[in-house]
Amino acid sequence: MITQHRIRRRMAATTPVLLALLLLAFVALTLAFGDRAAGRMASETLIRVTLVVGFWIFAGNSGVISFGHAAFACVGAYVSAWTTLNPAMKATLLPGLPPALAEAHWHVLPAALTAGLVAAALALGTGAAILRLSGIAASIATFAFLAMVNTIWANWTPVTGGTSSVVGLARYVTPWVALGWAVAAILAASLYAASASGLALRATREDEVAASASGIDQYRHRLLAYTLSAFFCGVGGALAGHFIGVINPDGFYLSLTFLMLAMLVVGGIGSLSGAVVGVLAVSLAVEALVRLEKGFTLGATTFALPPGSQEIIIALAMILVLVFRPAGLMAGREIMLPARWVTGRGTSQN
Amino acid sequence: MAKLGIHDLAVRYGKLTAISDLSFTVAEGERLFISGPNGAGKSSLLGAISGAVRAAHGRIEMDGDILSGLGPERIARRGLSMVPEGRRIFGGLTVRENLMVGTGIRRDRAAVADDLETAFTAFPILRDRANAPAGALSGGQQQMLAIARALMTNPKVMLVDEPSLGLAPKVVDEVYDRLCSLQALRGLTLVIVEQSSTRAARVGGRMILMRGGRIVADGDAAGFAAADLLSEAYFGDPA
Amino acid sequence: MSLQLLFDALSLGGIYAIAALGIALIFGVMKLVNFAHGQFIACAVFALILPSTDAVAALGLGLLPTPLLILAILGFGAGLAMAAEALVFRPLRNASPVALMVGSFALGVALQNLLLVLYGGRPKAISLWAGLGAPVQIGPAEVPLLQLIVIAAVIAILLALGLMLKRSRLGLEMRAAAEDFGMAQLLGVRANHVISGAFALSGALAAVVALVMVAQTGVADVRMGGQIMLIAFIATVVGGMGSLPGAVAAGLAIGAASALLQAGLPDAARPFRDAFLYALVIFVLLFRPQGLFAAAGAKPRV
Repeated sequence: MITQHRIRRRMAATTPVLLALLLLAFVALTLAFGDRAAGRMASETLIRVTLVVGFWIFAGNSGVISFGHAAFACVGAYVSAWTTLNPAMKATLLPGLPPALAEAHWHVLPAALTAGLVAAALALGTGAAILRLSGIAASIATFAFLAMVNTIWANWTPVTGGTSSVVGLARYVTPWVALGWAVAAILAASLYAASASGLALRATREDEVAASASGIDQYRHRLLAYTLSAFFCGVGGALAGHFIGVINPDGFYLSLTFLMLAMLVVGGIGSLSGAVVGVLAVSLAVEALVRLEKGFTLGATTFALPPGSQEIIIALAMILVLVFRPAGLMAGREIMLPARWVTGRGTSQN
Repeated sequence: MAKLGIHDLAVRYGKLTAISDLSFTVAEGERLFISGPNGAGKSSLLGAISGAVRAAHGRIEMDGDILSGLGPERIARRGLSMVPEGRRIFGGLTVRENLMVGTGIRRDRAAVADDLETAFTAFPILRDRANAPAGALSGGQQQMLAIARALMTNPKVMLVDEPSLGLAPKVVDEVYDRLCSLQALRGLTLVIVEQSSTRAARVGGRMILMRGGRIVADGDAAGFAAADLLSEAYFGDPA
Repeated sequence: MSLQLLFDALSLGGIYAIAALGIALIFGVMKLVNFAHGQFIACAVFALILPSTDAVAALGLGLLPTPLLILAILGFGAGLAMAAEALVFRPLRNASPVALMVGSFALGVALQNLLLVLYGGRPKAISLWAGLGAPVQIGPAEVPLLQLIVIAAVIAILLALGLMLKRSRLGLEMRAAAEDFGMAQLLGVRANHVISGAFALSGALAAVVALVMVAQTGVADVRMGGQIMLIAFIATVVGGMGSLPGAVAAGLAIGAASALLQAGLPDAARPFRDAFLYALVIFVLLFRPQGLFAAAGAKPRV
């Protein structure tokens, strides 16, 4: 006999597998049928999956919107740049780096891991203060944190290069590398969501007061989710840097924050599948709009959307989703195998 | 014609049914008590009449006009006023400001000053504390303020939800005393939610007993008091 | 504290207070943290000039005589905010505060990019009221005339707003609705009326900030509302969410702290002034999560 509970758990366990297969199919299809631009889009999309799934670990489980996660991506991107760039280049571009970093010339994988760890450490430190605030006030504080990181990065010229870009990052991020990290993020997110801490945190999402009355230490679980969440945003930032090869602080500021939020809202903040589906949906829409902005020919005339209309359209779509489908495309549901598939053979004696 | 008519009213919260198939009428100038155990649907009924709660189906009429679906702001304009459960005083506003909030819907501006005078005469304590923040009043004083505040909209029908909640018996006597004399003075139609059927019998009027979202009895409150032991046993919820 | 520093602190803090009031008014009546407020400010700035992507700005509304110009821009700000309310926030009336906040963020992005499409991304010089930079001698200090005007205007606005809230019908209804919206509606207070009114006031306050910023910097920039909106947010949190006097007090305090940091920090650290400011605020909130100026015993509702 298999209890209802165990069936649910087995079904839930199929979610990350199915999401990983979905992304695999996405990469395979774009590489097989798309042009070079489509290949680039595939890598970009998968990097965003890492970022948004990371973001979801905190926002989805806690119900608190953070505006600060782009800052973790920023820190991650620069940590990876500091540790992997050619020392000769760093001597001219970033003369203020401490000697240990100035001479570092690491392999990209430990650099990406370190990027995530540094972002996580920063989250642990700042979250300890920010997450003591209740819901909306915490959101505002994360926004202040984002602005703080941006101000520091834009002005700390000897170490960050200031507003001018840091160039020459090794461009190792192929769609397959990005897929690997995206799948890792999805696995970690579903493991966290199923953990005792994830369950407790989602209980507080519905009702802060009731949850604290039942003895759940909301603050501790929020902090844990925030830290884990920042790790993947840090890694995502590093990947984004090594994908384009050029980073600057404004690349990890309001536009990225907006994009991450839009993806989460469109897909639905209530489930991990919502986060992944949201990234795919918005990325495809952005790609289509970018091509429209470049112009297309219809008969004898060429049409082009004015630059900037991409953001306007995405923003309006986001508002429409909030009004007409507040729970997003996935409406809080997970993609999972139906019950009869996971009960296996020989259990149909009922 | 009945002042207030409720026809086949149903209220649901998600899958939970609070009221089903409820019908009754209230005559002009009548005093109607709604009684029953917790969860009987008394507050949902008042919520639906006042427009704060949306009815799943059914019709609510006042003077033959349909109120259902109008929303609280417009129902208040039709002359229906509410003294809500827990009083819901604006604690940061002064007593006088509390009284004035509901006068925005009135066209008879000149009569507002008279009504304020009436309220202050009925509840002298409110005159003494007119410029004090309402949050500083005692529970009984807040109940009186809530009643006076509802009267300032110049209603024809007034709904009062559990005016005795959390008040000492002597204060409850006082509240009902004022409520009845104001009703006589203004020719109000009153619908009062009151847990205690003995209290309702002492004040006097008609009484409807609710249980599980339906009406189980309807009659003179004094008659219920005679059968008090029975109803108390029936509800298992001593008031 | 030197006299010059005092004037710096007052004029900066005054503008922060006006911006914070714009946020707190709306939060009070509908629990919306309006992330589009910064873009309301930017739109009011660009309303002065004609849409074009040229580098030089051609004045449009900005050509009006000063009193008319001020009225026109205040009206523009109020109208823009009311339109935003009717089109975006009214359909979201029953949504959670989180959904409202995210919606306002999206609206802000849409408005900012609309400005980019209409005006291009480069900052534009606007020559308006150039004479206001002239210094005035007050005792031992030389103070720009503009600072004195700003301080006077802020005082006048605070008094007028206080009077309006305390004495007018709309003010009474707004205060009642801020405490208990459902109860106010039961008393016949019209939700649309009160919320539109709050947005109109907030938009007009955004326009005031816009005019002051243009006069101070002489530039129109698509991004110019962002930084002051952030300060205004911080002021509303520090002031206790939704408390108007708290927002004003916190705005002034942040202005003073900012002026002091600007004067006190060594040269090398000055570009990081705002970072120090934000860190200071997060630190303050660690010890008083309910805000500095929240009434004793008041519990955060959000």
